[in-house]
Amino acid sequence: MKLADRYNRVNLITALIVLLITGIIYYVVIHFIFTEKLDRDLTVEEDEIKQYVATYQKLPLPASFLDQQVQYKLLNRDDKESRFFKNTTYYNSKEKESEPGRSLITTLVQGNNLYEVTITKSRLEADDLVQIILLITLGVTCLLLLSLILINRFVLKRLWMPFYAILEQMKAFNLVKMSEIKLNSTDVDEFKELNTSAVQMALRVRQDYKELKNFTDNASHEMMTPLAVINSKLDTLLQAGPITERQGVLMEDIYNAINRLTKLNQSLLLLTKIENNLISDVQLVDFREVITEKCRQFQEILKKENLSLNINLKPCEIEMSRYLADILLNNLLGNAVKYNHTKGFITINLDNDFIEIINSGKNFSLTDQHFDRFFKSASSEGMGLGLAIIKQICTLYNFSVTYSFFQENHCFKVLFKN
Amino acid sequence: MKILIVEDELSLLDSMLTYFTEVGNICESASTYLAASEKINLYSYDCILLDLGLPDGEGLNLLKELKKLKKNDGVLIISARHSLDDKLSGLDLGADDYLVKPFHLSELKARVAAIVRRKKFDGNNVITFNEISVDITKMETSVKGQIITLTKKEYDLLIYFLSNKGKVVTKNAIAEHLWGDEMDISDDFDFIYTHIKNLRKKIIEAGASDYLQSVYGIGYKFGNV
Repeated sequence: MKLADRYNRVNLITALIVLLITGIIYYVVIHFIFTEKLDRDLTVEEDEIKQYVATYQKLPLPASFLDQQVQYKLLNRDDKESRFFKNTTYYNSKEKESEPGRSLITTLVQGNNLYEVTITKSRLEADDLVQIILLITLGVTCLLLLSLILINRFVLKRLWMPFYAILEQMKAFNLVKMSEIKLNSTDVDEFKELNTSAVQMALRVRQDYKELKNFTDNASHEMMTPLAVINSKLDTLLQAGPITERQGVLMEDIYNAINRLTKLNQSLLLLTKIENNLISDVQLVDFREVITEKCRQFQEILKKENLSLNINLKPCEIEMSRYLADILLNNLLGNAVKYNHTKGFITINLDNDFIEIINSGKNFSLTDQHFDRFFKSASSEGMGLGLAIIKQICTLYNFSVTYSFFQENHCFKVLFKN
Repeated sequence: MKILIVEDELSLLDSMLTYFTEVGNICESASTYLAASEKINLYSYDCILLDLGLPDGEGLNLLKELKKLKKNDGVLIISARHSLDDKLSGLDLGADDYLVKPFHLSELKARVAAIVRRKKFDGNNVITFNEISVDITKMETSVKGQIITLTKKEYDLLIYFLSNKGKVVTKNAIAEHLWGDEMDISDDFDFIYTHIKNLRKKIIEAGASDYLQSVYGIGYKFGNV
């Protein structure tokens, strides 16, 4: 639920409740005031009648005025005197209809007779007035409420614009691409603060990220010299004189370990370089040519593993680094060979906007995790960086790489154009 | 040949010196920019092995100095940085080759030998070892004057062995030399074995002695037995 909606809802409900309560209070109070006034009028009338009786020693004529009726009724001598107000009906002779009325019923002594006097006044006018006042008040309040909602809807949207602008930027923020968050111009203090905080956070994150990358870069480079020393010492040791077979095996293991460490370092450096977009030999790469060359290079291994190779090449030229194109294909093909079984097959389909490498292999599907650094299956002999490098290269050039598994075949597809 | 090794990592320098020191080679070393600069001003070398990261100066500047002195010394850059830009700027400044740390000493020697051969080229570029001779320009191998046909890999292998006569060359080094980066696909060295077997067979069949020795499964040694 959006903030504005939630705010509107709370606003509306509160306004409605307040309106209802004030409406009721308003109605009751006005009603009370009018009844008071009517009662006062009735009392005045009563006084007049009593005065008339005192002056003329007879009852005035039961008269019907425009909005007032007086009626007399002879009571028994024993009846008690009483006086009270009552809501009754009033017959309007002019309109010939009954209207709500207010009556004062009182007793009067004239000579030896006790009379009950009923003075009735029409309540219609008062009620009408109350209704009109109530309607006007309601109308005005509804109008106010409506305008409030409209203001909220449109003004709030405008007011929140800087917020959404910042939000958009934060969503688009990409650490790898080193995107920046720009300072939006706004007069609202809160948004200003949010903006500067976002900008500062992005700066700090980028700084940290850069440091981390620099660390990887430096660490990998610094490792190369000691590795070179170990390697050269082994080479020297090997020349030093006769060695036993056992020593030979040990030395070979050391060589292999150095080899792996070197490759690992180089892969890490390559990843950092791709991330920093430091590889600059961008050119139009003819994939058909590169694949043909790669297949020639892989020929020996394919023959040894008894793998059959099917290639369907269509013209495909992509603007990218020649070096990275080479690595991309090397890794894709290398994986297809490495995770294959003897007498398996590899199919390479090249179209003008995608390359697809399908190979037979072990019967389990890879997951997205395989694209993470250093993630490898239990059976994998690699370092777990091959797919990470593929992914990184694809990210750099906005290619999309997908993996699918069907009928024991693994298929990697790189879409060059999105 | 006369070689200058410029390297600040002393133990590495020591290994390189040991490997290159043999009959007919004069090896000198410098571990700082200043010492190296002094040496290249005073003497001429067939090949200079230059480490780029020196403590007191940028190795690339030595190349500029060489250029200023109009010397024709061969230069092989050794760098810890696998950087295309470094490589290109080094080669632009007149370096002959670029090798990334860590490396096999046999690879270094093969490359230095290639540089020296190129620099000394006088129309007659032939490596001779007893009855075997290889004409680099024509890419022809002959045994006792009789030309034998080698594949590209066998030819590369022979040159590599000839550059490292009398040294034990490991299978890792050979694999890296022949296949480069593709080799990480397969860690077993059966490929090498096949090529070496074929090369050896061809040379022996042409009437040469067997100069190739296997060294306890770790590598091979080519030289007089």
